Amino acid sequence: MSHTGLTVHPTALTGHVDQATTPLLKVENLAVSYGRIRAVDGVDLTVEPGRIVSLVGSNGAGKTTTLMALSGLLPLTEGKISFAGEDITRLAPELRVSRGIAHVPERRRVFAGMSVRENLVLGAYARGDAVEIAGDVERMTTLFPILGKRLSQAAGTLSGGEQQMLAIARGLMSRPALLVMDEPTMGLAPQMIDLILDTVLEIRKQGTTVLLVEQNAVEAIRLSDHVYIMRLGRIVHQGSGSTIDPERVKSFYLGAEA
Amino acid sequence: MDYLGQLLANGLVLGAVYALTAVAFTLVYGVVRLVNFAFGELFMLGAFLTTSLMLPEVRLAGVIVPMPGFPLPVAALGAIVLTALIGVLVDRIAYRPLRNAPRLAPLITSIAVSVVLQSLAQTLWGAEELRFPEFYLATLPPVVLFDSIYLSVMDLVVMASAVIAMAGLSLFIARSSLGRAMRASAEDQTAALLVGIPVNRVVAAAFAIGSGFAALAGLLYAQTYGFAHSSMGFLPGLKALTAAVLGGIGSIPGAALGGLILGLVEALGSGYLPNGTAWKDAISFVLLVGLLYLRPQGLLGKPELNSAGRGSLLGGASEFAGGWLHTLFGRLDGGLARLAAAGPGAALAFLAIAAVLGALMPSDYWLRILTMVVIYGMLASGLNVIVGFAGLLDLGFVAFWAVGSYLTSILFVLVLKDSFGVAPDDIWWLLYLNLPLAGLLAAGFAVLLGTPTLRLRGDYLAIMTLGFGEIIRVVAINWIGLTNGPMGIRDIPAPDLFGIPLGSPRAQFFFALVLAALVVFAIARIVRSYVGRAWVAIREDEEAAEAMGVPTARYKLYAYAASGFVGGFVGVFYAHYQQYISPLNFSLFENILLLMLVVLGGLGTFLGPFIGALIWIVFLQLALDLPFVQAYPETRFALLGVVLIVLMVFRPQGLAASARVSLIMPGSRAKGAA
Repeated sequence: MSHTGLTVHPTALTGHVDQATTPLLKVENLAVSYGRIRAVDGVDLTVEPGRIVSLVGSNGAGKTTTLMALSGLLPLTEGKISFAGEDITRLAPELRVSRGIAHVPERRRVFAGMSVRENLVLGAYARGDAVEIAGDVERMTTLFPILGKRLSQAAGTLSGGEQQMLAIARGLMSRPALLVMDEPTMGLAPQMIDLILDTVLEIRKQGTTVLLVEQNAVEAIRLSDHVYIMRLGRIVHQGSGSTIDPERVKSFYLGAEA
Repeated sequence: MDYLGQLLANGLVLGAVYALTAVAFTLVYGVVRLVNFAFGELFMLGAFLTTSLMLPEVRLAGVIVPMPGFPLPVAALGAIVLTALIGVLVDRIAYRPLRNAPRLAPLITSIAVSVVLQSLAQTLWGAEELRFPEFYLATLPPVVLFDSIYLSVMDLVVMASAVIAMAGLSLFIARSSLGRAMRASAEDQTAALLVGIPVNRVVAAAFAIGSGFAALAGLLYAQTYGFAHSSMGFLPGLKALTAAVLGGIGSIPGAALGGLILGLVEALGSGYLPNGTAWKDAISFVLLVGLLYLRPQGLLGKPELNSAGRGSLLGGASEFAGGWLHTLFGRLDGGLARLAAAGPGAALAFLAIAAVLGALMPSDYWLRILTMVVIYGMLASGLNVIVGFAGLLDLGFVAFWAVGSYLTSILFVLVLKDSFGVAPDDIWWLLYLNLPLAGLLAAGFAVLLGTPTLRLRGDYLAIMTLGFGEIIRVVAINWIGLTNGPMGIRDIPAPDLFGIPLGSPRAQFFFALVLAALVVFAIARIVRSYVGRAWVAIREDEEAAEAMGVPTARYKLYAYAASGFVGGFVGVFYAHYQQYISPLNFSLFENILLLMLVVLGGLGTFLGPFIGALIWIVFLQLALDLPFVQAYPETRFALLGVVLIVLMVFRPQGLAASARVSLIMPGSRAKGAA
């Protein structure tokens, strides 16, 4: 029951997206280069609607680069990205947001000098239905009560965990079909990590699909319907949460298996 | 009291103009971290467009064009809108491709845009002043305050429009959705893109608003002083930038405050200081230098804006995407880089070829031109030490050049000849003493200039050195007892060696060549030593260099000193070669020109400065044969500006970047970006 009342982006549920054959997000043969270095090399990803999908891997595996390319912040060297059946490979970043992809970036990147409320309102920038924005701010404070108490406070003065909540809430303000989260638990206290991960489940329960990048593979596997493991710019292993063998994951992290 | 009141009133009018322009600088800097030097020119365009729209007809490029003859408010509105569009266009063409470029590229581009706009305005409206038509409000009797302070109605209009415009902008930034998006983009462009803000459009809006403000300031200025002129935006632009920095760049209330302070200080200074009107231009720059020294972030600014950001100022020799211009520049670059990769040897070979050419050259005219190539090549090499090798943008280099030229001229002409009656022939050896002496003196000046800038990074450094350069120029103009002021110093003797006159064009040319060889050799020795290694480390990543234990402050001072030494050294020869110097020789424009030449030829290479000088000086002469250029000589500068913009857009790391002296040992070709 959606007690927090998050509204689901239409493309997530409407009929014209055939859920059986059309995944919400489909990434084919994605390659991204920094100069002559190929950071992501031939990655294929599929995210079915209503799922939590994780992308795990050690530092420098290319997870964040993949997400940046997904949001249009980095140019692709090769590959194709489709979202809800539409080819968005060359779409401008702001248009991807209005199509229904929200990206909660690594290190949170809240607008530190602006108030919590302004941060939330900015999250809805691509929507343009000013009337409902106030209501959505209200809903975010239900999902994250602590933000409600800090609405007029500058975002930079929040604690790390509070900033993470704000970053997630800011992402949800665009009413996304797909919420992309990059290392939401990075640098947080254990209690806060649990809270954030519970929120991920809650978000999915309310109908938003989640693509999660995590270094903490154990938690990510526990949480997810499907897990991709990245190493050196490639997907080296994948499977549903229950079929993935933690020992094998460990060996990917340590580099024993390439 | 009456006098004070009148000065305060004048200061407020001037302050309003500065504040409006400062807002333009600060707004755009806040959003894209770009010092758009071209706002001075947009200020000028605002004035010209308003004036033109108010007149019944205007002579544009020699052709009489009918104009609507609007009243001031309509013309002003039209001019503001047009200038805003030009500002957006400039951003689209020249700046947007450089958003992720190495930091020096947009600075050079904005300087080039200034040069282009100013040259075009001169071509279009001519070199003379265009009188500002009278508006009926300006004919009303002045308002008298406290029985003694006279304020014209237009003065009140100026102040009121400034207040209204700034209050409106503040409200817009604080309340509107676009204003909020602007603040968000200013804080974090990546995050702004991720929440769905079309950052490019937001930046365009900032340029439109900033350009509109600059145009408003320019037309109010033209109205107050009664004319429009193609170079009218230069000084107010610099002052407004000063005001923006003074108030803390990025802060709109800061810009307003800075403009107001600057206007008042200038008005009071010119009223109360002895000979104050003459010195008023120096006042603002002294204020700027002092403030940057004590409080680099400005009055209301945030300290982090002083940080240069990580990474290389000039950028590396990375690969580029397709397109024929990329390919063209790539080819050109490959060729230049192969030439320049030989290091100082390439520059010395260049000089050797020049020597053969000079020996065979029958024409004195072309010998003189070749001599100028060598002089500019040497000066550009001096600037290259600090910009190309150490990666510190210096807009005050001409000051060192001026120090050398003035030292030798003052000693030879004003002291020995005029005061003691010593014939220059009897003291021919003094020239050879002056060369190192002026070098040392200029190096001393450079260290003096460098010390307060050590805390500054990136753009602030450029602005502070610019302030220094302007101070030296104003001193040269106004300290008449020392420098003869604007009249300059005449009859500086040509070089002489043991009674053999070296005044012939050929002798002078070879004299210059010997000096150039010395300069190249000396710079090469330093650059190839541990000092040069430290410079390159600072250029590539100052924070990393510091973390690795390079005493960056000391090596930056060495760079200033070496650069200053070359400037002073060459300045001595320059004075004896030209036999006449005046403050006009040492304007900021010369500094900009030298910078462009280094960029054109290849920053951080030994050959680059000479190639840049060769291309430019020879082009300057050859183009004079074209009738069009004879009619509009300033178009040559416009062309140089356009070339620089195109070069920066398509090759932001500059030409011959792969030949740039680097930390990578010769032989190892691993140059991948991290």
